[in-house]
Amino acid sequence: MDFLRHNLLTILIFLPMVGALVTMVLRTRDQVRWAAVGFTAATFLLSLLLFVTFDWNQKGPYDYVKYDAGGAAIPGSGIVQMVQSASWIPAFNIQYKVGIDGLSFPLVMLSTFICFLSCIASWNIEKMPKGYMALFLFLETGILGVFLSLDFFLFYVFFEVSLLPMYFLIGIWGGPRKEYAAIKFFLYTLVGSIGLLIVLIGTYLYSRGFQGNPLGTFDLVTMASPAFQAHLGSQVALAGALAKTFFVLLMIGFLIKVPAVPFHTWLPDAHVEAPTPISMILAAILLKMGGYGIFRIAYPLYPEAAKTLWLLIAIIGVVSIIYGALCAMAQTDFKKLVAYSSVSHMGFVTLGAAVMTPAAVNGALFMMVAHGITSAMMFFIVGVIYERAHHRELSRFGGLATTMPVYTGFSTVGCFANLGLPGLCGFVGEVMVLIGAFQAARPDSLIMKAYPGDYPWIITLAVIACFGVILTAGYMLWTIQRVFFGPEKAEYKGFSEVDQREVAVLTPLTVMAIAFGVLPWLMFFVFTQQTVDALFKVLGVR
Amino acid sequence: MMSMLAMGLPFIPGWDQLHPFIADLILIATIVAVLLTPFFTRMANAACAIVALAGVGLALLALLVFGGGSPGLYFRGLLVADQFAMLWKVMLLIFTAGVIFMWFTTSMSSMHEGDGPEFFTLLLGAALGMSLMASTSNLLMLVISVEMASLPSYVLAGFRKTNRIGAEASLKYVLFGAVTSAIMIYGVSILYGMYGTLQAGEIARQMQAGASGASVLLIVAMLGLIVGIGFKISAVPFHFWCPDVFEGAGIDVATFLSVASKGGALALLLRVLMEIANGLGYHNQAGVSLTGLSIAIGTLGAITATVGNTAAFVQTNIKRLLAYSSIAHAGYMLCALSLLVQHNNALATGSGQVMSVGSAQAILLYLAVYLFMNLGAFTVAGLIWRVTGSEQISDYAALGRRAPLLAMCMAVFMFSLVGLPPVAGFVAKLNLMMVLARNGGAWWALVAVIGINTVFSLYYYLRVVKVMYLTESDEPDVAANPLGVGLAMASALMLVVLFIGWNPLNKLTTNYGRMFLSSQNGGATASVESR
Repeated sequence: MDFLRHNLLTILIFLPMVGALVTMVLRTRDQVRWAAVGFTAATFLLSLLLFVTFDWNQKGPYDYVKYDAGGAAIPGSGIVQMVQSASWIPAFNIQYKVGIDGLSFPLVMLSTFICFLSCIASWNIEKMPKGYMALFLFLETGILGVFLSLDFFLFYVFFEVSLLPMYFLIGIWGGPRKEYAAIKFFLYTLVGSIGLLIVLIGTYLYSRGFQGNPLGTFDLVTMASPAFQAHLGSQVALAGALAKTFFVLLMIGFLIKVPAVPFHTWLPDAHVEAPTPISMILAAILLKMGGYGIFRIAYPLYPEAAKTLWLLIAIIGVVSIIYGALCAMAQTDFKKLVAYSSVSHMGFVTLGAAVMTPAAVNGALFMMVAHGITSAMMFFIVGVIYERAHHRELSRFGGLATTMPVYTGFSTVGCFANLGLPGLCGFVGEVMVLIGAFQAARPDSLIMKAYPGDYPWIITLAVIACFGVILTAGYMLWTIQRVFFGPEKAEYKGFSEVDQREVAVLTPLTVMAIAFGVLPWLMFFVFTQQTVDALFKVLGVR
Repeated sequence: MMSMLAMGLPFIPGWDQLHPFIADLILIATIVAVLLTPFFTRMANAACAIVALAGVGLALLALLVFGGGSPGLYFRGLLVADQFAMLWKVMLLIFTAGVIFMWFTTSMSSMHEGDGPEFFTLLLGAALGMSLMASTSNLLMLVISVEMASLPSYVLAGFRKTNRIGAEASLKYVLFGAVTSAIMIYGVSILYGMYGTLQAGEIARQMQAGASGASVLLIVAMLGLIVGIGFKISAVPFHFWCPDVFEGAGIDVATFLSVASKGGALALLLRVLMEIANGLGYHNQAGVSLTGLSIAIGTLGAITATVGNTAAFVQTNIKRLLAYSSIAHAGYMLCALSLLVQHNNALATGSGQVMSVGSAQAILLYLAVYLFMNLGAFTVAGLIWRVTGSEQISDYAALGRRAPLLAMCMAVFMFSLVGLPPVAGFVAKLNLMMVLARNGGAWWALVAVIGINTVFSLYYYLRVVKVMYLTESDEPDVAANPLGVGLAMASALMLVVLFIGWNPLNKLTTNYGRMFLSSQNGGATASVESR
């Protein structure tokens, strides 16, 4: 048990990579498929062990780091658990440091879960299965590395590592315009990454002298503390414009990934061209890297700048919600519709971060997980029908409820979860973010304390965001109507019902969608509270 | 009788003067050996290559065993020995060995029998010049070493005698080279006229003492110097020869020039600039504007990187693409040379010594990584050229299926050239950016320029990857020389190893980034005499 507690995270990160190497030496298609599913399953099962090794009984008050009377950090005192660290590049104080807390735990579980399911969904890949599965597993290593690393440098490396396989997965196994979509995805994300890189260098250089360390630090846990804010504040250069610049660069990097309007245009292209399982991963996990980065890096490191720029970010969030929903409504392609609905839903995450109230941040964290489940489900649903009909034109569908009743059942749950019907997972996140947005108008909120004059803005944006819920309901219901109801069409008459493999993918997703909707405390009270408490200690400084 | 005694004994160098330059001496001996080889064998080409490889290996071994000697001026100030020069020579020799090895796998079969001795004499001669470039701060020796590197390069560029493009490239190279060296010699002679000495360190001391206020002359002289060396670095606007020569020359020659010529010239320019900056104490002195020089070099680097990257967009020939890529990378490295002024900022640490180490370390680390990326990328291009006879990127279609190992290696090199983790190109670029950012102030602008250029460069590097993996083709498989594939794979592996082993690499380049700057020791003239 002790061995696991110490090494589990590292094993989780690198097990898929071992799997990638193994699949490369296998010969037949069957071997490759079984090996890939085996390795993703093993990773998923190992990640279940986190429930055992994670310390559930941590008592508040929650901090990222606690300090003793002398001002020195007490190791292992914060909310981040199962930390494993080793010096990697001592010359720059770069560590291999991984750990898990309430912010990363749900996302790690989501990643291993969705990777496992989409690996099953990849079962029928015909073209170069060996390369596909190897890249797929390599991608999983990158994803888990992003969510688990606590060192800025390490985070950046994994952030980029997850880019490369995605490029090939879209570019080789994608649809007709795959080359365009793949390079667009790559270029957009790299633009953001370069901003991150500059902040990485800058933060490191300005952290020199922190806690008496002549070298700087890349340690994200140490930096997420009021003490670090005080250190940065003591440096004239960082008090004002430079901190804002760094924050903006970070946000651009992460908002491209989220993606928020106006950085979202890569997403519909990538989704439309990507094969179904890759769309599932892209929507369910890769977008969450952006949200995760916002809450792990951007806000804890530059809370003052975040407070100053809250309005800009909130506007980006609200515009994403409304514009994404309107675009979704206008789509004729089923997959593009789901892609734009992702833009809209992730707008709630951006808004939740921007308004900086505990309820909104809670909601944003919940939204990330909920959207991970529903978007994976929706993309798989689109994939199922595309495999049979070989087109995704919404206007050509109709009456599928008669031919494929089971499929229609699953799809309806998926659509309702996506539109945020109470009792399903989509509802909780949206509602929490909206409540949080209205709470920001209370006189004791962080924003109101700093900018009392922004009261009308808060109310206006919160009200507009509410309309997003209505728009979502509009396009989702219309989609259900167009695809599943109406008279049975002759061309879809012979369609086979969902097979066992497809049911095996859809069932767990449906169960999760309902479970999180009925029992939202599964996540709230255990995971997010610690994170939110610790985060607000940092946000509330000064 | 008395007058003869007064003249003193003739200067006969002893072991302590010679051993720092053991690698150069062995290179000279190897050149002689290569010339003699055809008398003993019929297969002159292969034999010469083996002799050359053995000589380079021996030189490397001797250099590692005997070390670079104690830092200081040698041969009455003509040559300098220090750790910086030693590490550059080690890298140059490894690279030269790699190029000769690559010659076996790519060009050997197409080379006319009997051309080998000439080819390797020229190659080693150029290598000798590039090695000497790093170990001199004497203006006379500077000119000699640049010419020594250039003249064989001109011939090498046109070595494929029946190739029209090669002949054209060679002529272009000669004309460009002749004009720029004339300008450089002009600049050097002005400097000599102004200060009465050829030692860069002595010139710096006199500048500090304010011996000359003729700043227009000084600017002309410095410009002349930068033009001459900038030509070797292929800094914009002296870069026009580079793509033509790379396209026209054999693949091995192009490889050699892409790293060795640029690296040597960068080392040379770095040493001269650091002598001057160090002599002036890394800040402004009346009459001389170090800031101006710093801005000029930084701008030159930024423009070179940008022009190289944007021009590479439209290239369809892999060698031309790599030529523009090498221009861009030279631009990045030039940016590191702009660290001449200690910006008055809390970020800048320590003394001038730290500044010169930072600059030298960034360049050494960059070159150490760049060497493997370029060797690898050119090797893959050469291997494919040998099988398909084409250097067009469009003919790389579906290489992922036709030559899986080569394509994978090429993808690694391309991503490394972009500067993406988890390969060492990222480390080199990040290190360079960190060194620049550490100086704060306007150097952040250079960091931003490098960042933006990285995004530009992604597009064209990725195009090669795209063609290899995303484009379909019915062309048959490429059966490449297994030794060559081994070389490419070793280079690719090296890039991963250097990424994980950034720390040892960093330690090595920091330790060996120390330059002997004669302007920093007050009594440097004494040390000139004593050696």
